[in-house]
Amino acid sequence: MSFEKNNLVRNLTLGVVVATCSMSALAKKNELTVWAWDPNFNIAIMEQAKATYQKAHPDVTIKVVDFAKADLEQKMHTMLASGMTKSLPDIVLVEDYNAPKFLSSYPGAFSAMDGKVDYTKFAPYKVELMTMNGKTYGMPFDSGVTGMYYRKDLLAQAGFKPEDMQNITWDRFIEIGKVVKAKTGKAMLGNDPNDPGLVRVMMQSAGSWYFDEKGALNIKNNEALKEALRIEKSMTDAGIVRPTMGWSEWVGAVNHGDVATITTGVWITASVKAGADQAGKWAVAPTPRLNIKGGTNQSNLGGSSWYVISTSDNSDQAIEFLNSTFGKDSAFYQQILTDRGAVGSYLPARTGTAYQQPDAFFGGQAIYSDFANWLGKVPKVNYGYYTYEADAALAAQLPAYFQGMPLEQVLEQIDSQLAAQIQ
Amino acid sequence: MSHTGVMPMTPVRSRSFHRFYDINGWCFVLGSLTLVMLFMIYPIINSLWLSLHSGKGVIVQFVGFGNITRLMHDPVFITALTNTLIFLIVQVPLMILLSLATASCLNSPNVKFRSLFRMAIFLPCVTSLVAYSILFKSMFGYDGIVNSALMTIGLIEHPIAWLTDPFWAKVTIILAITWRWTGYNMIFYLAAMQNIDKSIYEAAKLEGVTPVQTFFNITVPLLKPVILFTSVMSTIGTLQLFDEAMNITNGGPANSTLTLSMYIYNLSFKFVPNFGYAATVSYVIVFFAAALALVQFKFVQDKK
Repeated sequence: MSFEKNNLVRNLTLGVVVATCSMSALAKKNELTVWAWDPNFNIAIMEQAKATYQKAHPDVTIKVVDFAKADLEQKMHTMLASGMTKSLPDIVLVEDYNAPKFLSSYPGAFSAMDGKVDYTKFAPYKVELMTMNGKTYGMPFDSGVTGMYYRKDLLAQAGFKPEDMQNITWDRFIEIGKVVKAKTGKAMLGNDPNDPGLVRVMMQSAGSWYFDEKGALNIKNNEALKEALRIEKSMTDAGIVRPTMGWSEWVGAVNHGDVATITTGVWITASVKAGADQAGKWAVAPTPRLNIKGGTNQSNLGGSSWYVISTSDNSDQAIEFLNSTFGKDSAFYQQILTDRGAVGSYLPARTGTAYQQPDAFFGGQAIYSDFANWLGKVPKVNYGYYTYEADAALAAQLPAYFQGMPLEQVLEQIDSQLAAQIQ
Repeated sequence: MSHTGVMPMTPVRSRSFHRFYDINGWCFVLGSLTLVMLFMIYPIINSLWLSLHSGKGVIVQFVGFGNITRLMHDPVFITALTNTLIFLIVQVPLMILLSLATASCLNSPNVKFRSLFRMAIFLPCVTSLVAYSILFKSMFGYDGIVNSALMTIGLIEHPIAWLTDPFWAKVTIILAITWRWTGYNMIFYLAAMQNIDKSIYEAAKLEGVTPVQTFFNITVPLLKPVILFTSVMSTIGTLQLFDEAMNITNGGPANSTLTLSMYIYNLSFKFVPNFGYAATVSYVIVFFAAALALVQFKFVQDKK
């Protein structure tokens, strides 16, 4: 090559290298990346937090990225396991059932927020699950306090008034469901045979879980689990369940008017409201209880929290952002409650006005004051690390159980499968 | 220098010439060799090393053959293995037979619109795995098209629970895979059939051999190498089945469509991440792929 060409090539390469270096250096400052799922709920709420924060700090850019929940978890595992910290976000949403798993599998990956966040202002059960070895790691976010959402008009058609739906047992629920099916032709609820979410709701409502307080397996002698499974079988046998597969079918059954109730966490409110033509026809009643000792009409399903990745360049700024919005701003909690139905775990927010407001979609019922009331009574349980394994083991046995396998044998199988999974 | 008599046929190459060839050859190959070592050989060896460890996330300890012992007592692994083998044993022969039959039909010169049929049968192979899985999921749903069509024709009275019944979920997966890959194998057979001399078929016709006998006694034996190739490829593909099982039934009611690859995914991303154990399960797939390929090769060799 000629001398001039050599020089040109060398200078060009140098120029490109310098440009990329400076670009990458500039991109890092004052830009926070947030990963979350559910555009109707989590993403929308984070966008509101971003808007609130940017009023006071216009120089900070916050990028909110939407993933499907399973994809987000997969990416997190891959990146944390391989140590590729550059592509990790600054803030990530982690479901509460997964939090102990992430914290213990990848020690040091998440920032402890002990000195900076006042954890006494948050619901104790949320703070407990993000505490490991004396340090607390996340910003508690939404609570999954459950309620039974029901269609007043369909229940009225079957001859039931709202008073008949308050503080009932699951057996009574099944009886009501049979009448509803007979008189309206609609199923009482939609349920995914692969997803034992409802079993979890029932278990926690009686203060029980797959594992006891010490984390040992609690399957074979678990009265709440046995009763929950019996109820599920009775519901299926009574023909009041519409089988749905996956999130969109489950929510679709509600929005299309195929089911009369849905019993799950308060985070479903936004999805129920998506069926705008059903405004005024819904109401919320306490979760039905198991007819055993310790059975209550309150429970929790899901709920998640925000975590800051410790290796990010902007971790301090991320903690400050979360603290000034989710950690202190009561007005912010009123706003997300009114707009998205987000019941936060920030205790002082519950005296705010939004929590007392009647909601037109639910016929003027002040549903959030009901939920805030129930939130304080949710039985505390230790989720442990292996909730997903237990779910899978349970889901594997449900069809056999519905087809007639005796309950004792089902529990035996679940127990042995779980014992093999947990090493 | 001390040759007597006849000169050698080829001119003697000098040593520097050989060296020039060697060095240049290696330089040209070095680029792709590096890439193969980095992206194939290194991960294979690393995952073998990983499979000797077990633990939670990044906290791992050496367990030697502990993972293999765990495999043998793991009911979920045994279910996944059984399902994968069932898919293999039912779907691969079925699909190969179907591909052979369609290739044979489309090879005959009497069929009109041959290229249209060929395109229609081959088109499924170029669709996206996830896109068609989602379509199948909605088609085979409880209120889906398939149930409506079957009930309208009168073949069934009540809708079949394609996706929520353990047996029918397996059938749905097998139908999906067969629909997708039949065309792919058919093209291979069609191409190979072009090499068969037409005179053989004429001779057979003259001797009064029925079409079915022609198919089994002439076409199939002559296509043996291609059939071996497609069956090995299909075996390996079915052993690694993931997309359909994940997107249509998500492991299926009661793990009835859980495959080995799905179990690896669950072990890494859904459950408490145990990458060492997941690597061990992936080596089980390697073992079966190698073993079955060997069996199929031996099967063909013996006939000779």
